[in-house]
Amino acid sequence: MSTRLILNAIGKSYGSGDSPVTALAEITLTLNDGEFLAIQGPSGSGKSTLLNICGLIDQPSSGDYYLNGTPVAQLNAEQRCAQRRKALGFIFQRHQLIPAMTVSENIAYPLLLNHVPAKQIRHEVEQLLSKLDLTHRRKHLPKQLSGGERQRVGIARALIKRPQLVIADEPSASLDHHHALAGLQLMRELNQTFEASFLIASHDPFVIDFCDRKLTLLDGRIGESS
Amino acid sequence: MNWPLIALRNILRDGTRVISTVLIIAVGLTALLLGSGFMLSTYDSLQEIGMRTEGHVIIIDDNPRPLLGGTHQQLTLSNWQPVQASLLSDERVLRVLPRAHFEGIISNGNHSAVFFGSGVDPQEEFRVHGPFLRTTGTLDPWLTKTDIADVMLGVELARTLNAKTGDLLHIQTSNSVGKINHASLRLAGIYQNGTPEIDNHTLMVSLDTAAKLLETDNISQLSIYLNQHQNSTAMQAELQNRFDNATVQTWQQRAELYNKVKSLYDRIFGAMGIIILTVVFLAITNTISLAIYQRREEIATLSALGTKPTSIYANFILEACLIGTAACLVGMLVAFTASHAINFSGLMMPAPPGKTEGYPIFIYISWSHYLLTSLTLITIVASASLLASYKAAKINIANALS
Repeated sequence: MSTRLILNAIGKSYGSGDSPVTALAEITLTLNDGEFLAIQGPSGSGKSTLLNICGLIDQPSSGDYYLNGTPVAQLNAEQRCAQRRKALGFIFQRHQLIPAMTVSENIAYPLLLNHVPAKQIRHEVEQLLSKLDLTHRRKHLPKQLSGGERQRVGIARALIKRPQLVIADEPSASLDHHHALAGLQLMRELNQTFEASFLIASHDPFVIDFCDRKLTLLDGRIGESS
Repeated sequence: MNWPLIALRNILRDGTRVISTVLIIAVGLTALLLGSGFMLSTYDSLQEIGMRTEGHVIIIDDNPRPLLGGTHQQLTLSNWQPVQASLLSDERVLRVLPRAHFEGIISNGNHSAVFFGSGVDPQEEFRVHGPFLRTTGTLDPWLTKTDIADVMLGVELARTLNAKTGDLLHIQTSNSVGKINHASLRLAGIYQNGTPEIDNHTLMVSLDTAAKLLETDNISQLSIYLNQHQNSTAMQAELQNRFDNATVQTWQQRAELYNKVKSLYDRIFGAMGIIILTVVFLAITNTISLAIYQRREEIATLSALGTKPTSIYANFILEACLIGTAACLVGMLVAFTASHAINFSGLMMPAPPGKTEGYPIFIYISWSHYLLTSLTLITIVASASLLASYKAAKINIANALS
């Protein structure tokens, strides 16, 4: 088993001068291929900041970050963008669907960015729509969906390109138990088939128990891990 | 993925602001099309006057010899008849009209006035001027072969002399060596073209009459009228090579009014165009900037998913171009309707400098002109949206998503 992600003494602070705000301090962790890691902690503990750094949409103030063995600090903006496009999948807490795109278009978008042939895109989208019980919503716009449906579209969009690492912020938010389980099973399927790794921030005990490993963040530091 | 459809959905998300932007651009385009349409029709009209008055290409003597009596007596173009015959055999040439300019005093016995006269071809001269030299009370045909020669007067000169068609007038002029000659002429008719210099001081007689008065068959210029005015420059160069000792000019080199008005209008409408294009630029920059501000989360999401900045620019440019295209269609329709309404209304412009009469407002309508102006506007819109959307790619993803 190889290492997907290594964080070594990662710190993140905002502001400068006499009173900088420390969001993360001395975070060191490793995530292997095919591993499910749950991050829990109270609001403001730094979970989202950690996910942003791991997902290459924010940069640490200190420390080293290696993704698939590559030191992220050496990547320029264009290369980080390419990594997000090819290797990373995001499930956002607030869904973040593109309002002008239909359900099908939202799900298909990551494949389109990766120049997957149209026929294959249609096939993959139909499969995911079916698995997440969204087939009847394929032509609807996000504003026409319920919160749970939007979250399922967000999960489908993150998983459709079979990323090496999925960053998920509260993936079960707005989902009932049945659909939360369907989403998690889909993640597990991806995990088992393609050795995708998952970094999941959640308060949901059901999701945390589903993961292989968990760690707790408290005031920007790793409190405990198991 | 149907990007134009997605762009359209984005546009419709913010209908009110988009409608106001479309209206600003449409009004700007309408103003541009009406202004430039009026400008182009004025140019066409002045060009037509210039060509009809002077001819498309003009041959004048290159070595004027100052003699007594001033410049009008310098009839130095001699042996012109073979040149005229040779030019008329060219299939590009429609007419070749000789003109002999002279000056003197005209009197009806009670009143007298200084005049500038022209000896012209009586059969052809008024045909080439067309509607730009209107004749009234003309004896038909004027300059008939009677024992008394005929003269045509500018309308104001006729009024000064209180002369009416058929009246006998007396003119006095000097020939090339200063000898005074007299003639009694019958007033065959009156002409008017709205230019005070012409209406107040000029008269026309036949070339034969001029030759008798001036005691020479030399002329001042040969005016060449072509089938197609686009051949003017080529013909001028050709003739200049052929006649070493003469100056050959195009109508445009002698059309002082056309050149002055064109220069003035180019500056006026040029400034108006720049102002309108600036307003359009600012309107679309404002619209796209607001859209970017309101859609920060969406842009951040696209970036987080790995969308290249160029693709983000492209989305906003596409939206701006759709807005621009819709606005141009509205603007063209309004301009087309307004142009037709103005053209049919018979509205008159006041008399321009150097003229005594106003002229009907006419707005030039041409689809190529409409398309070119619209494309210019859409290019401005695309440039403005590119500038505004540049900010979109600079959004801090983490901040925008938090």
